[in-house]
Amino acid sequence: MEHLNLDTLARLVDETPSREERHHLEDCTRFRTELALLQGQTHALGELPDLRPPRGDWAMLEARLMSEGLLRHDRSLLASTPAWMKVAATIVLFLGGTGLGMALDTVGAADSRMAGADGAPFSLVSSTAGSLAEAEEAVRLYERRYMDALVQYRQLLDSEGSPAGASSPESRLAALEYLVAAGQAAVQQAPADPFLNGFLASAMAERQATYRAALQEGSADDWY
Amino acid sequence: MTDLSEAQIIRKACAGDGSAIRLLYERYAPRVYAVVRRIAADDDLAQDYAQEAWIRAIRALPTFRGDSRFSTWLHRIAVNAALQALRKTQTRTKKEAPMPATVPVGPRMGDTLLEQRLEAAMDRLPDGMRQVLILHDVEGYTHEEIGEVLGVTSGTSKSQLFKARARMREFLSGLDEKDMQNGAEAWSI
Repeated sequence: MEHLNLDTLARLVDETPSREERHHLEDCTRFRTELALLQGQTHALGELPDLRPPRGDWAMLEARLMSEGLLRHDRSLLASTPAWMKVAATIVLFLGGTGLGMALDTVGAADSRMAGADGAPFSLVSSTAGSLAEAEEAVRLYERRYMDALVQYRQLLDSEGSPAGASSPESRLAALEYLVAAGQAAVQQAPADPFLNGFLASAMAERQATYRAALQEGSADDWY
Repeated sequence: MTDLSEAQIIRKACAGDGSAIRLLYERYAPRVYAVVRRIAADDDLAQDYAQEAWIRAIRALPTFRGDSRFSTWLHRIAVNAALQALRKTQTRTKKEAPMPATVPVGPRMGDTLLEQRLEAAMDRLPDGMRQVLILHDVEGYTHEEIGEVLGVTSGTSKSQLFKARARMREFLSGLDEKDMQNGAEAWSI
C-alpha cells in the first residue's frame, strides 16, 4: 500500500478519508499520529488571539484621518489635554510663526523683544540675519531656547505640585505621539524646512525620553 | 459615549466625531491588526496596511448599511486592504526568519509560546499559501469566500491550504518530538 503523504493528511483534517485511506490510517500508527498533529495544529490556528497594534498607532491614524478631513477636532479631548501641553503648543505655534518670519524676512526685521525664561530679555527676531543660513541658525537657536523654557516650565510645575504637572507618562506620551505624527506630516510637505525638521527632532527626542520614563515606572499599559 | 449603541457610534463616526472613531478603533484595532499582520508577515508593513484599512473603513462608513455585523464588514475591508497592499509589495524579498528553536517547548507550557511559534511558522510560508491558511484556518473563511477574495478557484484554495498545512507541520516538527517524549498530545491547548 502506498504511504499517505503530508498533503493528503492535511486534506483529511477536513475531509472524510476514502476507504483505502481509512485502511491505511487504521494500519499505520505513525500516520494516525501525524493526522492528529495536523488536526491539533489547525485547531490551534483557529484559536490564535487578536494582536495589539504597536504603540502610537492611534496617534498616527488620527493625524492621517485629520489630514484627510475624516476626523474632527474633539473639544472634550482638547479640554482633557494637560495645561502644560497647551502652553507648549502655544509656544510652538508662536515660535513657528517667528521662525517662518525670520526665514522669509531677511532684510528688515522688527525689533520685538520679550522676556526669556530666566527673566532676561532676548530678541525674538534677529535683525542681523542677512542670509538664509543665518536665519536657519537663528531658528535652531530659538528652538533650543524653547526647549529650555519648556523644561524650566515643567520643573516649576513639578516643584509647585500643580495638577497639570502631574500628568501620567501615558497621557503625555499620547500627546507627544500626536505631535510627532503632525511633525512627520509637516516634514513630508516641506522636507527641507529647518524649523519643521527641528520641531520633529525635538518631539521625537522628547517622546523617546517619555518612553523610557514610562518603562522605568512600569506603568506603560496603554498601548495606544 | 460608551453608553451609545454601536449603530449610534457608527453614525457619529460617519460625521467625523473623533471620540466615536476612537471608540471604534479601540474596540476593533486588535482584530484588524491581527489579520493584517498575519497577511503581511511583517511588523512595519502590517502597521501601514492596518492604517490603510482604517482610512478606507472610515471613508466608507457612510456606505455601511448594517446588513452584516460591523466587525464582519470591517474585517473584510482589512483583508482586502492588506491583500491589495501586499500585491504592490510583492517584489520584496521573502525573509526566512529562523524559528525560535532554542526555546524549551512543553505540551502545556502556556499558549503564548505556542502562539509565537505558530505566528513565526506562518511568516515563513510563501505568500499564496499563507493567505489561504490564514483566511481558512485562522479566520474561518470557506474556500468559496477565499476564491472570491483572492481571485482563485475554490480548488486552488484547497490545494494551497493542504500544502500550507503540510509546510507548517514541517516547520513545527520540533514540537511533537518533545511532546511525544512527554506522552502528551502535541497541540492540546
